[in-house]
Amino acid sequence: MRKIQFSPPLLTLLPGLTLLPVLFIFLKGIHNGGLSIFSSFIEASFHPALDAIVLGSSWRGLRVTIATALVSWSISTFIGLILGIFSSSIFWKTFNAPSWAASITRRILAIPRSIHEILWGLLLLQGFGLSPWVAVVAIVIPYSSLVARVLSNQLDALDHRALIAINQIGAKPFPGLITALGPPIIPIIASYSGYRLECALRSATLLGIFGLGGIGTDLQLTFQSLEFNEMWTGLWMLGLVMFSLELVLSWCRKNLYRITKKYQFSFILIPLTLTFTTFCFFWLKESEIGAITNFEWHNLSLPTLVEIESAFKELPLLTLIGSTLILTFLSAGIAIGIPPLGLMLFPSRLEVNIQSIIWGILRLIPPPLSSLLLLLFSNPSFVVAAIALGLHNIGIMGRLLKEGIDNQTDRKWHAMKATGAGPSASWLYGYMSSQSPSYLAYASYRTDVLLRETAVVGLIGGTGLGWQLIESLSSFNWAEVTVLIILYSSITLVGESISDYLSQFWMSYTTKKSTASHSFF
Amino acid sequence: MIRNNLKIFLLTPVITSLSIQPFATAQSQETLFIGAIPDQNPEKLNRLYNLLSNELNKQLKVPVKYVKVTNYPAAVTAFRTGSLDLVWFGGLTGVQARLQKPGSKVIAQRNIDKKFRSVFIANTRSRLQPIKNQAGLKALKGKRFTFGSESSTSGRLMPQFYLQQSGVLIKDFAGKRAGFSGSHDATLALVQSGSYEVGALNEQVWKVNILRKRVNESRVKVIWRTPPYADYHWLAQPNLDKRFGKGFTSSLQKALLSFNKQSKSQEKILELFGAEKFIPADVKQYKAIEKIGRQLGKIK
Repeated sequence: MRKIQFSPPLLTLLPGLTLLPVLFIFLKGIHNGGLSIFSSFIEASFHPALDAIVLGSSWRGLRVTIATALVSWSISTFIGLILGIFSSSIFWKTFNAPSWAASITRRILAIPRSIHEILWGLLLLQGFGLSPWVAVVAIVIPYSSLVARVLSNQLDALDHRALIAINQIGAKPFPGLITALGPPIIPIIASYSGYRLECALRSATLLGIFGLGGIGTDLQLTFQSLEFNEMWTGLWMLGLVMFSLELVLSWCRKNLYRITKKYQFSFILIPLTLTFTTFCFFWLKESEIGAITNFEWHNLSLPTLVEIESAFKELPLLTLIGSTLILTFLSAGIAIGIPPLGLMLFPSRLEVNIQSIIWGILRLIPPPLSSLLLLLFSNPSFVVAAIALGLHNIGIMGRLLKEGIDNQTDRKWHAMKATGAGPSASWLYGYMSSQSPSYLAYASYRTDVLLRETAVVGLIGGTGLGWQLIESLSSFNWAEVTVLIILYSSITLVGESISDYLSQFWMSYTTKKSTASHSFF
Repeated sequence: MIRNNLKIFLLTPVITSLSIQPFATAQSQETLFIGAIPDQNPEKLNRLYNLLSNELNKQLKVPVKYVKVTNYPAAVTAFRTGSLDLVWFGGLTGVQARLQKPGSKVIAQRNIDKKFRSVFIANTRSRLQPIKNQAGLKALKGKRFTFGSESSTSGRLMPQFYLQQSGVLIKDFAGKRAGFSGSHDATLALVQSGSYEVGALNEQVWKVNILRKRVNESRVKVIWRTPPYADYHWLAQPNLDKRFGKGFTSSLQKALLSFNKQSKSQEKILELFGAEKFIPADVKQYKAIEKIGRQLGKIK
């Protein structure tokens, strides 16, 4: 008898198994009590409020969100590029410095990104008060470090023969580095930073939901007052911006090599971005919340060691960690497993397009809103929070998978078809098999992101580190806040190493390096 | 040619910034920054904020700016850091803010805030009967229960206090925890839908929802009214007289107290706040809230 072996395409479906317990618990608690509210929510999407006051308010909010996203994105990309160079081994090697210098820089840089931008936002808010810059800085801190990580990995993974050659003919180290590694790295940077801009828009919206201004604020307030028509006004406007950005960026990604080859173009692109960012910078300053533009530190009464120690003993830390991890795994299972499962079961062109639209809507609705919406139908449990988080990330995973598939050849699929395989099997082995290693690599990165993101939905289930942190923050209990932040950050640091290991494992599985267009995430 | 173009492109940000700069910094006179916790109709309040700021501007002759605040702790922090000069706080957040900014002044409350109440509402399918006296709250043990926002006085603090007084702790509810819906309206929706069997919310929000016919009374009903306690109030920074001139704080108080329904804009403001009128408030009224806040760990 042959042993069953899990090949990568089957493994991508495996996380979908988490659906079984999740759906079991969710369906057990389901009831139709929320049907009337839910139908009015859906109905409202066709009739968004269109009066001048609502439109004006949503537009002002959207402006702040766009400006926040753009400013924080360009600052973080800039800082990230510099830090990325400094944390790559090849940089230190060029200067004949010991190799531990790079690994120490990397370790230190892992700390800022171990804390989700929402938590940075809530923490900075305590120190700096209401200011539009709080949201910007909250995004810049983790994003810079994320960009640095990707850049340094990519720099080290490049072919270094050109650099060695240049150095041997006597070029100075730094100019040599730029000349040899600049051209191959530029398209990678361009593609990755485009992706970061999309993320920045989502983060800026989410920060608004947690009270830091912009369209998120409008969405949250109208949703909490159940004014769905007004909420949809903001959501559609945000959707318009988000989808056009995605379209532009995906066009850029497709034509990346052609664009970056023309140097003249990048000479236009850089000043254009700079101009736009500067404009946004002042836009932000003029915005409503920008009434208060000073950004200064206001002292907090920091907790003593004794207080921290007692907080450490009093908080139910194990329970909190446990529920955070369960939330992460369940939501990751949903987010990773469903897109390939859906595409496999419904592979026709029409069905794929319908799924793309659904993914778009899932990306658009922020998880704190969808969790409250789900809660209207089902009895409260952490499963609701997991589904909300999972659904949002299905939108992100699904789009990446489809982009990957669209960019590969369909020879394998034709071959499978020719052997007489059914549509699902030919999809799985024809399309998915060459995508699965990079999909799994990305999935392990996404799980790491989800671990940080649990902070966002903990509130509804009343569970997890995220919820406890918000509760402690609202009690201004700094000792508890300190303990929770340290703990959260340590867990995500461990999570990151595991996810790094896994994604390297899956990347080494790929034979053709070029097929992995999003290998750098 | 390319080089020339490049120069222009690189200069554009500088030029843009120079042209916007003067507008951004034109601020000569002290501005009074006001705000409110997001409690009732926050989205409407935010949109119609100029009603209130215009009215205060007219009476006080200083520039007034309304700042949107979207969560309770953010309002407290904004007050502590001096980002906001006058804030509409709930009982608990007001005390938190006052303790973090000693010397700040409680200047007014609504006519209804002297004796404010919360209501406990239950889904009819839970078969919970109206509770005659506080001890009857024991019947809620083992039920799915939700509060509103975690910092809300009427949606969390006082309900939790009365529950605790009658021996019901959070771990006694189903799943050993209580939910936090985030707002009074959301609590109502979640109990009406049946996802939670019982919830506690601001009595005034409940009444307004009944008037607006958003309550399906065959699905959800009130099972208990809490005893009265002091709640919402306007809190002002301690340094307003120094910044805006002698007697400014009392003029501010007078302005708020003068709002009445004869003036159209003032009537609209009072309506937004759900008030008949504003009345003077006293720090002493909030002693009890402070004590309860400490007891439940919401005040350090």
